[in-house]
Amino acid sequence: MKKIIGMVILYLLAFVIIVAAVFCGIRLYKEIKAESYINGSIDISNRFTQESFNYSSTSAVFYHDLYDDTDTYAFEKDLLKVENFDGKKKTYQVILNDYVLLNTEINAGSVFATVNMDFYDTNGNVINSAVMKLSVKFLSNKTTLTLATTGKENASFLEQYFADNGIRLRIIEIL
Amino acid sequence: MKLIKTIANCCLVFITVIAVCVIIAFVYYHYFVKDTTIGVNNINDQLAVDIKKDDELTDEEKDIFEERWFMEANYYSNDKNNGVQLQELKYNYFTGYGLTESEYRSTGMQFIGDFRTYTQEVHKESEANERVLSEFYYYDTTNGINWSGFKGQYGSVSTVLNRNQQFIIKIDNRPFSIQLDGKYDTYGRLWGFLWTVKQSTTYFDYGDVFDAVFSAIKSNDKGYGDYYITLDLSQYFSIREYDKASGKFKADDVTDIIKNYAVLKFHYDENGARNSTQSIFGSIECNPKYDTSDEQIDTTYWQERMTYTLTDTSKLNGAELFTYRYSEIYDGYFVSLSMDGKKLFADMPRAKVNITLDLQSEYLAGKEIKVVGLDYNAFDGLEIDTLTIKGNARTFYLLEKSLNDTQLKTLKHSRGIVLDGTANAINNEYSEVLI
Repeated sequence: MKKIIGMVILYLLAFVIIVAAVFCGIRLYKEIKAESYINGSIDISNRFTQESFNYSSTSAVFYHDLYDDTDTYAFEKDLLKVENFDGKKKTYQVILNDYVLLNTEINAGSVFATVNMDFYDTNGNVINSAVMKLSVKFLSNKTTLTLATTGKENASFLEQYFADNGIRLRIIEIL
Repeated sequence: MKLIKTIANCCLVFITVIAVCVIIAFVYYHYFVKDTTIGVNNINDQLAVDIKKDDELTDEEKDIFEERWFMEANYYSNDKNNGVQLQELKYNYFTGYGLTESEYRSTGMQFIGDFRTYTQEVHKESEANERVLSEFYYYDTTNGINWSGFKGQYGSVSTVLNRNQQFIIKIDNRPFSIQLDGKYDTYGRLWGFLWTVKQSTTYFDYGDVFDAVFSAIKSNDKGYGDYYITLDLSQYFSIREYDKASGKFKADDVTDIIKNYAVLKFHYDENGARNSTQSIFGSIECNPKYDTSDEQIDTTYWQERMTYTLTDTSKLNGAELFTYRYSEIYDGYFVSLSMDGKKLFADMPRAKVNITLDLQSEYLAGKEIKVVGLDYNAFDGLEIDTLTIKGNARTFYLLEKSLNDTQLKTLKHSRGIVLDGTANAINNEYSEVLI
């Protein structure tokens, strides 16, 4: 009887050792075959500057400074630095959405423009005429964009326009 | 029979000896030989593999498709105290391993205020895996344009952001899955002075990720603006590669150290959010008409038109918009719009054009140009709202078809100016105003 029990224990032990060896073998194989790897790559170096000015967004909201008594509402944005802008040596075209802006004031490192926009009701009558000042300054470490208008009503209509159409502002060098 | 039994026993002993050798080899290799392996998963853009090329996209499509990152954040800090503090985090991923545009999906979470994470006690891992944080508003979209939102923990039709969730993402144009399953154990001494034992396990949730992301944004060295940073998500997320042969996402249980990096695109604003259009979900507190303004202005309109006022100094790409032709018969110059100008306005049908001609302007005087009228077909086809002619007493000639098909509404001119040739110059009714 003792011999049988001893045999069973031995068989069980052998079984356990074999099963453990299978798992250890698989693990050993995996570890021996394992190699360091890199999946994918990240390069965002080109995300810190841009070659030419290009700004797009789905909306613009104009803020009024409580301490400002000129009734000015402004949308201000800090953007990536633009490389190689030179308003003195090069010619540029400013395009807001599908409109080419004329009478723009282009200086060495800045662009100013005035946008006049009329809004019509369903009878074809003008219900608002908004004047918006656009300013882009190309600084050494960033670019600043400012859209400004006077009066809450003008700001509201412009916000509605940009919410409906988005904003796509480009300053393109004419070669 | 006995012989067979003896052979079987010998085989068993032989296999057992080999098994022991394998175990010894494993222990030896694992603890004494094994070199370190490092795996790195870089989560770059999440644009579909079938996305059209840049030059094939319209401007509207570019806004939507040009950039797509696994994580995008939007933070209105309200440092200027002119709105509400708004924090939003969006995850962009795929619903299929084809990684095509039709499999796009995004899920986001929104918090009004400055979210600070906290550890919630859970009794077991399955409870932690199921938990959805009730503090957030959740939003979903498949096309990146139309969002739907939900607030609460359970019973949502939005994608549930909990530890059980797995997203399909693109790395190297191959499908991988990503899952928030990070956790850490806390140890302490038994009864305060005996040996060290595990005291608790903390399971990271999406609130922890949210808090960490916004801490990174607040500490970015550029400050306010639209920027990109890379985050190390190794503590939080596990990434599994899709095995085409088996059709399964397989965990990497062999590599010693696995690092998961991802690009975060964020907008960090010193203003507070004022309007739902500032949300990347187009909605704040699940309200697409959210607006903090006290006084609402009705901005319903049919159409907008950009107004251009053209003068003798107007320029297009550095060149004058007006051209001048000298006539010996009239002893003066006839003005017309340049061909580039006509083409420009033909491409902008919504432009509303006003023209102002000052016959005594310093600009024209400086160039010794004496304008006597409008040339043949000067503004033919250009839609003009108001034409203003200013100057001292003289005859101003409108040559044939100079204002044809312009739909001119108002013609203003100085009292002393006499218009000659209007009958053949304009083919629509207009009002004449003396100034």
